[in-house]
Amino acid sequence: MPPTGPNPQSLRVVILGGGRGGTALLELFTRSPGVEVVGIADMNPEAPGVRLARNLRVPTATDAFALIAEDRADVIVDVTGDPGLGEQLARRKPARAEVLGGSSALLVWKLVQYEQDLRDQLIQVEKLATIGTMASGIAHEINNPLYAVTGLSEKLRKETRPEVIRDYVEEIIQGGRRIASIVRDLNAFARRAIESHTCDIDLAQILEESVKMARRAVLLDEVSVVMRCDSVPPVRGRPEEVMQIFVNLVTNAVQAMEGRGTLTLSTACANGAVQATVSDTGPGIPRDIIGKVFDPFFTTKEQGKGTGLGLHIVRDIVTRYGGRISVESAPGQGASFTVSLPATADSPAVT
Amino acid sequence: MTWGLHTKDTPGNGRILIVDDESSIRKVLRVTLTDAGYEVVEADHGGRGIEVIRSDDNMLMVDVIICDIRMPKINGLEAIDFFRQQFPSVPIIVLTGFPDTKMATNLITKGVVDYLVKPVEDAKLLASVKAAMAQRLGLVQDH
Repeated sequence: MPPTGPNPQSLRVVILGGGRGGTALLELFTRSPGVEVVGIADMNPEAPGVRLARNLRVPTATDAFALIAEDRADVIVDVTGDPGLGEQLARRKPARAEVLGGSSALLVWKLVQYEQDLRDQLIQVEKLATIGTMASGIAHEINNPLYAVTGLSEKLRKETRPEVIRDYVEEIIQGGRRIASIVRDLNAFARRAIESHTCDIDLAQILEESVKMARRAVLLDEVSVVMRCDSVPPVRGRPEEVMQIFVNLVTNAVQAMEGRGTLTLSTACANGAVQATVSDTGPGIPRDIIGKVFDPFFTTKEQGKGTGLGLHIVRDIVTRYGGRISVESAPGQGASFTVSLPATADSPAVT
Repeated sequence: MTWGLHTKDTPGNGRILIVDDESSIRKVLRVTLTDAGYEVVEADHGGRGIEVIRSDDNMLMVDVIICDIRMPKINGLEAIDFFRQQFPSVPIIVLTGFPDTKMATNLITKGVVDYLVKPVEDAKLLASVKAAMAQRLGLVQDH
């Protein structure tokens, strides 16, 4: 979990430079326990790192030295790429702050890039696991009508009564159509995953589609789905990634309820952000593990059923979009996950 | 006590309970099995399957159960647990859309006699039913 407030134990960092390096450092540091970003400075107030900082409620400045003068930093990381700045920093920085610049900062930046690669690989692992779960759901969905088609075709070989033949043929056509429609849905989903590019997204629509996709991973017949969607402004992102967030939350919710209960999906506006909440009526999350649910490889599912990466990646995507995710739960009261994402107007550039 | 209708001396090949939520699947099974001389009773979910077999004081007697897994209301796994507990002498064949070896192993350990994956060929289904019926006869006669 990222630090929720000032912590005397944590290492306080100021980032100078809001370009690619600064953005990546900010993203990593805000996720790292024991590190607190006390500010980021860039001459350009619209630099991507500065915009992300505003969404993460990290102080921003256009004047590096004004920020440093506050004397809150243990470490100043200089990723401006400005060779003159290092010399000035050496003269003007507060005595206790250390400066990480030049090749040292470059080394950190390399490590951050490596960490990002690893994270991308984790996302792939989780995606494959999701596909694996869905594959068995899809197999079930296709094999049923397929059996009607092959089984009744076999009967037709020997059948001579015209009315029975008509009945079987009708059933076979319906089976064929059902398979075709499943394949069409899957095609649309796959196409979206490949072509996915950043665009304006209607969260209510994504919630609806996520339920449709989750249906392939978990049985929803005994779950009543309640949608309470206020009209909200769109959010900016890749539909595939935003879907991944909600397919994951919906699947978890249904699994928590063991396929029986009420799944409530809602959208609302709060403090300039768009919120989407997924609630279940399951047993709730025990107090001693609620703080761990976003940790990588943490899972309560039996071996082979979950990678323990789902919620970790969900939080990862949400953070990358400059949003937040929170969970509320009490034993016996179900669980409620709320994702809040910046509304379109001030979304950061997503790379 | 014996639950079965079918013995070597009774007419017909025995009675089979089909538990599957899809009517088209029940239709394929019904036609296949009745053509092969079996009597067929149907239920569209696990709970209904249990009701059918209980049906008040008159316990309906079946010789073999063919049961799907993924069904609404009471699913196949729950129904199978019930059948195994209440009617241990009635062989169960699982017929599912899930090709899942782990689940298959678990179910076989629980006493399920066969795990068939849809779409199944008539010959394979009938061979499995025949074997289950033979096992049933053996069990009934042992009592």
